[in-house]
Amino acid sequence: MSRVIGIIFSSAGYDRAAQGVTGAGRRLADALGLPLQMVVVGGGGGDLAGSLAAVADAVTVLTVTGVADYQPEQTLAALTDLCRGEGAQAVLLGNDTWSQELAPRLAHRLGGSAAGDGVELVIADGRLRVSRSVYGGKAMATIELLRDPAVVWIRARAFDPATAREVPAPIESLEAAPTGEPATFIIERKSEVTGEARLEDAQVIVSGGRGLGGPEPFTDLQDLAGLLGGQTAASRAACDSGWCPPSWQVGQTGRKVAPGLYLAVAIRGASQHLAGISEAKTIAAINNDPDALIFKHCRFGIVEDYRKVLPLLRERLAAMRKE
Amino acid sequence: MLDNTLDSEATRPVLWNISQSWLLYVMFAASLAIAGYGLYRRVMAWRRGQPAARFDQPWPRLKMLLTHAIGQRRTVRERYAAFFHTFLYTGFIVLFIATMVVMADHRFGLPIMRGAFYLWFQSLIVDIFGALVVAGTAIAFVRRLVHRPRKLVLNDESLRILGLILLMALTGFLLEGWRIAATADPWGVWSPFGYLVARISSLALTAKSMELAHVITWWFHSVLVFGFIAWVPYTKLLHILTAPLNIYTARLAPSGASLKPLDLDRLAETGEPMGVRTAAQLTWKDLLDLDACTECGRCTDVCPANTVGKSLSPRDLILDLRDLVRAPQAGEPAGITSTVTAAAPDSLWQCTTCGACMEACPVFIEQMPKIVDLRRYLVMEESDFPETMQQAVTSLETRGHPFRGTQSTRLDWAEGLPVKTIGEALDAEVLLWVGCGGALIERNQKVVRATAQLLAAAGVNFAILGREEKCTGDPARRIGNEFLFEMLARENVETLNRHAVKTIVTSCPHCFNTLRHEYPQFGGSFEVYHHSEYLAKLVSEGRLASATPLDQTVTFHDPCYLGRHNGVFDAPRQLVQISSRRMVEMERRRENGFCCGGGGGMSFVDEPAGQRVNQERAREALKTGAEVVAVGCPFCMTMLEDGINARRGERDVRVMDVAELLWESVGKKA
Amino acid sequence: MIAADIISKRTVTSTASATAQKQKIKVNIVVCLKQILDPEIPSRDFRVDSEKMEAQRGGASLVTNIFCENALETALQFREKFGGRITALIFAPAGGEDSLRKALAMKADAAVHVINDGAAHPDPLAVARVLAAAVRRLGNIDLVMVGRESGDWGVGQTGGLMAEELGIPSVSFVDRLEKQERGLLLHRQTDQGWENVEAQTPLVVTITNDDQNLPRIPKTRDIMLSSRQPIIRWSLEDLAADDAGIDVAEIRAGGGYYRVVDLAIPTKEIVCEMVAGETLEERVDQLADRIMSVVRSL
Ligand SMILES: Cc1cc2nc3c(=O)[nH]c(=O)nc-3n(C[C@H](O)[C@H](O)[C@H](O)COP(=O)(O)OP(=O)(O)OC[C@H]3O[C@@H](n4cnc5c(N)ncnc54)[C@H](O)[C@@H]3O)c2cc1C
Ligand code: SF4
Ligand code: SF4
Repeated sequence: MSRVIGIIFSSAGYDRAAQGVTGAGRRLADALGLPLQMVVVGGGGGDLAGSLAAVADAVTVLTVTGVADYQPEQTLAALTDLCRGEGAQAVLLGNDTWSQELAPRLAHRLGGSAAGDGVELVIADGRLRVSRSVYGGKAMATIELLRDPAVVWIRARAFDPATAREVPAPIESLEAAPTGEPATFIIERKSEVTGEARLEDAQVIVSGGRGLGGPEPFTDLQDLAGLLGGQTAASRAACDSGWCPPSWQVGQTGRKVAPGLYLAVAIRGASQHLAGISEAKTIAAINNDPDALIFKHCRFGIVEDYRKVLPLLRERLAAMRKE
Repeated sequence: MLDNTLDSEATRPVLWNISQSWLLYVMFAASLAIAGYGLYRRVMAWRRGQPAARFDQPWPRLKMLLTHAIGQRRTVRERYAAFFHTFLYTGFIVLFIATMVVMADHRFGLPIMRGAFYLWFQSLIVDIFGALVVAGTAIAFVRRLVHRPRKLVLNDESLRILGLILLMALTGFLLEGWRIAATADPWGVWSPFGYLVARISSLALTAKSMELAHVITWWFHSVLVFGFIAWVPYTKLLHILTAPLNIYTARLAPSGASLKPLDLDRLAETGEPMGVRTAAQLTWKDLLDLDACTECGRCTDVCPANTVGKSLSPRDLILDLRDLVRAPQAGEPAGITSTVTAAAPDSLWQCTTCGACMEACPVFIEQMPKIVDLRRYLVMEESDFPETMQQAVTSLETRGHPFRGTQSTRLDWAEGLPVKTIGEALDAEVLLWVGCGGALIERNQKVVRATAQLLAAAGVNFAILGREEKCTGDPARRIGNEFLFEMLARENVETLNRHAVKTIVTSCPHCFNTLRHEYPQFGGSFEVYHHSEYLAKLVSEGRLASATPLDQTVTFHDPCYLGRHNGVFDAPRQLVQISSRRMVEMERRRENGFCCGGGGGMSFVDEPAGQRVNQERAREALKTGAEVVAVGCPFCMTMLEDGINARRGERDVRVMDVAELLWESVGKKA
Repeated sequence: MIAADIISKRTVTSTASATAQKQKIKVNIVVCLKQILDPEIPSRDFRVDSEKMEAQRGGASLVTNIFCENALETALQFREKFGGRITALIFAPAGGEDSLRKALAMKADAAVHVINDGAAHPDPLAVARVLAAAVRRLGNIDLVMVGRESGDWGVGQTGGLMAEELGIPSVSFVDRLEKQERGLLLHRQTDQGWENVEAQTPLVVTITNDDQNLPRIPKTRDIMLSSRQPIIRWSLEDLAADDAGIDVAEIRAGGGYYRVVDLAIPTKEIVCEMVAGETLEERVDQLADRIMSVVRSL
């Protein structure tokens, strides 16, 4: 029987990404009139499997003997067998490292087609169409997958979660046998605490300039960045003043960043600074000068003394996060 | 008393008290041989250099020789050196002439050392100039030992030279004094200092002992003099000979034209280095330059990089290169460039190519082009240069502009203005060359807008190249990527010639310099104006008039590539003067202007805080009390805005281009 | 705070003599390149052709995809340390040669150009099949290196699909690799940090950027000389002749994996929208809403 399969790795738990994949899977399955089977890869997903069961039609916890959570060749082989056996019509994954590594190869093994980074999925003439941003965010493309099954990794956090159903789905466990001695083997793994990731990779950056007037406000910016899951950066003028480490400098002679959101606080927007944020998707600013150059590059902003804005903004964002 | 002794018979015995004087000639011959050998070695070294055409146009060259070698116009610019060097230099000349006179009289029997000439010149003047030599040496000693300015190298050689000169002069006075005393010279008083020695000696010594001391000292003095002559080519005194030659063969064109092209295809073919790797790539003029340095340190003194505390010192570079090319292996196998950079890795990348060093050098050494030559090797053969400069170069390669990350396009600045591209306005008389800095840095877009509006207001029929315009290649060339510069130059010349462009106006002095001096080598000859020149012309023709001059105090910062490199000082000042009520000048201005820090690719490099040229310039500008700092260059705009904003504190100081100033004062009428 | 989590250290099974022999063998590397439209073209200059489903070239230049250059740089550094031979491979129209010339200037040992005379943007499987066929034709390849994704379409599948076409394993997002006694040790970036992976050749890796593999600037002399170095040119027919996996007609048509049905520039607010509201609180609320809506979409 054909079905939609969603694949989640147990290690991250039922986070926003897992919710997005499940939500997208639920809606796709409904649109196709097919059941949704969620697959948890890796052991120890007790809570996770339970949460998935609330929205899926079936939940499988898949482990490979001898593999703690993920080994590329082993996991791929086990997933291929599972998808083949279940007659997957479409396979959804998140946009984490492992999913991106697996998806094209899984599609190839299943004789299907893959597409990645989807932000919207629609069915047209019985084929899955994936919308994604291309050309560094300058354009949107819609891609039609020509072979079955469709294997798609999605920008998981962009998709709404699904609402829980009354009867939870059954949870089954499946232990696959390893495939001989694999040619690749992950031997060591290190997780870096968020906040230490490279500025270049940050999705949200809160950045401060000379207008802050001193080092103290940077603590507030860090709080704000923390609330948004982002990082803190600065203009050269602020770095030069010694208010923050030089490694925070963004711009022509500093870091070149590409966050989804760049919030510039008390930064004028000199071209040398802008040169570092030309790849930012959305720029927003807090500046008390309505003519500040930075506003020319913003999607939105507020003309106000940052000292008045920050405390309120922080309060409001904290409240929104709780919701 | 003088009148009484004025006697047509006045003279003195030559070689009084000296026997075996033939030894003198042996010593003379030996010292000449030694000196000659030293000089020969230098000349042979120069002859091994690459060719350079520096013997054309004899008249302008002779004029240079007169003003700068004989007249020492640049040397005397500096107070201390004016005394010290003039004393020594004139003293030596006078003493040399006096020796000639002795020789003519004694050896060739020309009776010229007689009567009034003997008394006035051979005695009095020579005596005074001898004293000046002593004074000059004393000044030099005091400077080097007491004041110790950073720019002067205090080494054993310089002390030995000064000591030797002092000893020669002092023994000379002793000899004169003892002769006067012992021979009871009736005209002795005509040599006042010698006379003084005579009087003092007479108190202590008998005539007999003076005679003995005289003989000994005389030979000692002779050994010193001939030793000195022999020593000249082996020390920095060599400049006595090389300086005039170097001045005669100096570059005659403005310093904006000082970089020489390379035949890259040939170099790729033969495997010879691109740029300077070893002494073999230097021209004979480069080698002569190195031998002409007087170690005076003026270049280092005016160098903006050095002024703000960076390691670059053009004088040290010249001396290091000199030592390296004189070493037996000339820096092989590492090469002189690698040796220089190993010692001070950052120095070569601190030069803004401002040309202040060349302007200051009394003997017309060309430091900056050598820096670019070394850069050429590092960039083209080693790919070893600062990362942010690499980004600028990469951007130039792929996008034809150096500003990586800019979100502006070549036409954004003209939004809403009726500006035509040259394709649309075939009859345009003037091409407005916008430049990357004008088009792609937001702040400067306003400058180009003002310029375009002023041209339109004056009824000038102008057009732009629009998207066809590429960077002129100035940053590539000064960073040292001659290959990239050539590509850009060829492309632009082709575009300009295709559109049959004749007259170009540009608001960027770097574009101005390149279009004017460097494109003719690629077949592009145009009449090129900086916008300040062209606008000043329009004002003087009555086509533009300032209605309401700004009621603020304005100072003007000379862009190096407009001012020092091209001699345009007055046009921008005229614009400032008619557009504002008050103008004040900074201390360092015109030929001596101080760089903004942005030339030579330096605007792509983050200078360490505390060592920023732009802040030093901003400090000077703020000191004038001006409310507006006027500029005439997109790079100066960036650098000074950054510097002024960092330093102005609560003061309200704006940085504006001269075109913006004029437009404000004209525009209010419109 | 940070704990390196040792998953397992496998014992080395091969004998010493086998190891020694293996070390002598040169690692034969292919680096695949893609040529793309300059990704730094300002948004205001960016236009798309919705007929051809691609961006308009305009005055912009074509450049080698940055991740491909990172891959080449990683390969060059690997060769400097452990020896080896690097072949740069591209599947592109005639202009693709520029990328190969640059690779040669950066000191790749050889260059292969598979001429694309068909659809401008073949789908990822078509590209992977062509590249895999070229790799097979080259023969004896130990390591295939590709960029993690391209700066234009950002598809991110070439490496994985090539591995499947070649029937060999692959590891993605690698930023450093070393030869060790037994095969290779790969260091790769993950969402949370990094992983070390032991791998045997033959192998496909996709390369991501880090501060170690910024592409070097080629020397001018090498740029000038690269224009005279030979480039091997193969047509699709050449590849199809000894490779049953290549369906020339299908590849020329763009492949049968997926097709682009729409390409458009999203209408962006060009002017900055200042948050509105009577009071400061209202305006900050608005600001917070906008911020959250952006953050949620990431
Ligand atoms: C060669 C070179 C390289 C450079 N490289 C870089 C680089 O890599 N990165 C970089 O950032 N810069 C760089 N610069 C410096 C750049 O030119 C600017 O000087 C710098 O970016 C200015 O920083 P800023 O906007 O923080 O400060 P300012 O220009 O001083 O602006 C401060 C801003 O804060 C606002 N403000 C003041 N008070 C308040 C308040 N209470 N509330 C809200 N807003 C307020 C003001 O309106 C103003 O817009 C470089 C400069 C040069 C010359
Ligand atoms: S050109 Fe200017 S910066 Fe360069 S060495 Fe000479 S004085 Fe110094
Ligand atoms: S190069 Fe010229 S200015 Fe510099 S120390 Fe030598 S003589 Fe003086």
